[in-house]
Amino acid sequence: MVGKNCFAIASDRRLGVQLQTIATDFQRVFKIHDKLYIGLSGLATDAQTLYQRLVFRHKLYQLREERDMKPETFASLVSAILYERRFGPYFCQPVIAGLGENDEPFICTMDCIGAKELAKDFVVSGTSSESLYGACESMYKPNMEPEELFETVSQALMASVDRDCLAGWGGHVFIVTPTEVQERVVKGRMD
Amino acid sequence: MAMKVDMSALETNFSIPCLDDGDGMHLSADSPDVPSMVLPTCADFDGFQAATKDMVKNKRGTTTLAFIFDKGVIVAADSRASMGGYISSQTVRKIIEINPYMLGTMAGGAADCQFWHRNLGNKCRLHELSNKRRISIAGASKLLANILYSYRGMGLSIGTMIAGFDEKGPGLYYVDSEGARLVGNRFSVGSGSLYAYGILDEGYRFNMSVEEAAELARRAIYGATFRDAASGGCVSVYHVGPDGWKKLSGDDVGELHYHYYPVQKTPVEQEMTDAPSTSA
Repeated sequence: MVGKNCFAIASDRRLGVQLQTIATDFQRVFKIHDKLYIGLSGLATDAQTLYQRLVFRHKLYQLREERDMKPETFASLVSAILYERRFGPYFCQPVIAGLGENDEPFICTMDCIGAKELAKDFVVSGTSSESLYGACESMYKPNMEPEELFETVSQALMASVDRDCLAGWGGHVFIVTPTEVQERVVKGRMD
Repeated sequence: MAMKVDMSALETNFSIPCLDDGDGMHLSADSPDVPSMVLPTCADFDGFQAATKDMVKNKRGTTTLAFIFDKGVIVAADSRASMGGYISSQTVRKIIEINPYMLGTMAGGAADCQFWHRNLGNKCRLHELSNKRRISIAGASKLLANILYSYRGMGLSIGTMIAGFDEKGPGLYYVDSEGARLVGNRFSVGSGSLYAYGILDEGYRFNMSVEEAAELARRAIYGATFRDAASGGCVSVYHVGPDGWKKLSGDDVGELHYHYYPVQKTPVEQEMTDAPSTSA
C-alpha cells in the first residue's frame, strides 16, 4: 500500500499443507535492496526459489551498473523471469513495492505468468485476495503518514485473513520510508 | 393388568420412494414424524447427488470432542463454519441441546445436523410423553442412527456424538451419516480431530475434577484450532452430569492462545537514543 513518500508491504506468517499448519513464522516478504521489497504468495518452495533467483540477478545488475535497480526495471525483470516459464509456471503471485526516483513509491502485482498490474493505491495477492481488496478499498486514504499507514495495513491484513481458513497466524509488516525501514510482527488470531 | 408399553414412537417408518402424479418421485411417509421429502427425477440419481454434495461443499471443517469421566461427560467444540477456503462464520453453535440432559455435536453439513438433531429431540419428547420416562442415550442414538441409515448414499453429511446422562449413568455414542453407531469413552470428530486426540489422549484420566476435565477439553480444541485451518473461533465446553447439562465456558481462541503463550518481551539488543544536541 502506498503512503506519503513511503510504502508498506505486509504478509501473513502461515506455512501450511492444505488444512494442516506446519509453521507460523514463515517469511514471505523479502528485501532486494534498501528501497525495494518483494512479497511472494503461493507455493512456498517456488517463493523461496524465485527470491533466490531474483537476488542473484539483482547482484549481477549491481556489479555491472554499479547501482541498485529501479523498481520499474525490477518489475519488468520479474515479469520476464515468470514468462520464461509460461508452460510450467512458478506457482507464485508476487507483489513488488519500492521507492523509485525522487523516492516516489511504486507498487505492482503480477499473476503467476508475469502479467504486470500497476496501481497507485494498493495491490494484493494470495488466498484471501478478495477479502483484502474489500478491506483495503474501504480503509485506504491517499497520502497517509508512516504511522497511520502501518495501522491501516495491519487492520486490513488482519481483518481479511480472519475470513480465510488458509491464511493468518500473525502478520509481518514492513514500512519503508526514504530514511528508514520499520519491521513489525503483528499479533493475530492463531486459528 | 400389565401396562402395555407403547413402542410406536420408537418405530421409525422409513419413507419409501413412490411415484407421484405431479412432482414425480418422492419419499412418502405414513407417520407424521418422518418428513416427506421430494426426490429429483433424473437419469443418474447417484451422479446428481454426488454433484450436489460437491456444490454444497460440506467439508467436515470442524473439531468436536466428548469424553466420559467419573463425574459425567464433557462435550466441547469449536465454532467455525467454512465453505472451501472462505470462513463463513466464527460463531456457529456446534453443540446442540437436544433436551435438558442430552447434547448432540455438529460436524459436517450444518443444515443436516441442525435438522436431524431437532427431529431427534421431537422423537425423544414423544417417547417421554407416551412412556412416562425419559429415553435412554442408547435409544436416542439408535433412533438417529436408523434414520441416517435409511438416507445412506443420498449425500447427507453428519458426524455427530450423542452425549448424555440417563439411569445407567453417562452415555456417549458416535453416529454418522454412513450409518455407523459406536459406543465409547472418548471421541473426537472433524478435520481437526487428530490434533485434538493427541492432546486428549495424553491428558486423559478417568478420575478428574470437573475443572480439570474442562481444561483438558479446552486445551485439546485449542490445539486443533491452532493446527487445523478449518477449525477456529470460540471453544465451548459443556458438562453433562446427573442433573443435566451445563455450559461451563465459551472462550475465544485468539485470546486463549495468548493466555497459554503470553508474548515474551524480547531483550532489547540495541536501543536508539536521540543524539545529544550540540551547541553551535
